[in-house]
Amino acid sequence: MSIAGDFANAVAKMEFFTALRESGLPYPIVMSTHLSSIAIFGGAILMTDLRILGFAMKSMSITDVYRQTRIWKRIGFCIMITMGILLAGAKLDKYYDNPYFQIKLLLLCLVGVHALIFRPRVYKKTEELDKAQMVPGVAKAAAWLSLILWVGILSMGRWIAYYERPGEIPRSSTPVEMPAAPP
Amino acid sequence: MGGGPPRVFLAYDITKNPLNNNDWSFPLAECVHISMFAMSVGTIALVDLRLLGWAFRRESPAQLLKSTSLWTLTGLIVVITSGFIIWTSDPLRYYYNGSFRYKIIALLFAIIYNYTIHRKVARSATSPSITTVLTATFSLAIWISIVFAGLFYAFT
Repeated sequence: MSIAGDFANAVAKMEFFTALRESGLPYPIVMSTHLSSIAIFGGAILMTDLRILGFAMKSMSITDVYRQTRIWKRIGFCIMITMGILLAGAKLDKYYDNPYFQIKLLLLCLVGVHALIFRPRVYKKTEELDKAQMVPGVAKAAAWLSLILWVGILSMGRWIAYYERPGEIPRSSTPVEMPAAPP
Repeated sequence: MGGGPPRVFLAYDITKNPLNNNDWSFPLAECVHISMFAMSVGTIALVDLRLLGWAFRRESPAQLLKSTSLWTLTGLIVVITSGFIIWTSDPLRYYYNGSFRYKIIALLFAIIYNYTIHRKVARSATSPSITTVLTATFSLAIWISIVFAGLFYAFT
């Protein structure tokens, strides 16, 4: 087995992650919290990007929308990442060679690159954007890329569940049988 | 309602549904569903945060409601449509699932609440009061409970 595989197995075998994986209630609660924080985080990101693109919140300045949503992006992001690490750790032995999981991690790295490129050029200069007659192309590019990256991350996250390792017994593709009528 | 499932389901052959016949359509429908849930609930949550006095304090709740309502409505329409499409993949299984039943009832209630009490309070509120705090807290709680129910469906 590869180094990555050994590492993934070791993580997933840790007592904490084993307990989480085998727990009845905590695991789906962590997953639901991961998903709920997407609404808080996603809503704030979406509105900022749509404001830059001129599609929404036009009664407010870009600076205002950016500053007012910033704390909620941070809070949402922290919850989302924490829950994401818990979910990934609990099943890392199954995820590490999952291409959708790998693409998701890559896209998350690209979010970091996006921040490095556009924070000094766009997000730290929102006052200039507000004064400009037209929002410059670089800001629009930042907004579109942000939307594309986050929708991509969300989609890859969902697709992780549909990957089957070659050689593994595929999950039944036929729907579950009709349950018996309740008494 | 007798013993068995509603008759309308019996004539419907789910094995012919495209969602059950290729690898990509079901997850794709889920991705649309989740993105649009984030948009609709996320924009409602922004109004709730304003009602709580935790965000956008320079804007009135009414202004914020006006700026977000189109996005909330668009999100709700797509999330419900995609949810309906997902449901057709195996209607009976959903029908007999407790989490799903809760989700549908809570969803109907949440939509009515959003367009009556919630909207009325957001339109008239100026500063946070016990009314706005209760309205926003209930709104956040019911929407988040719907997200939880959607996920718990898979675990029950």
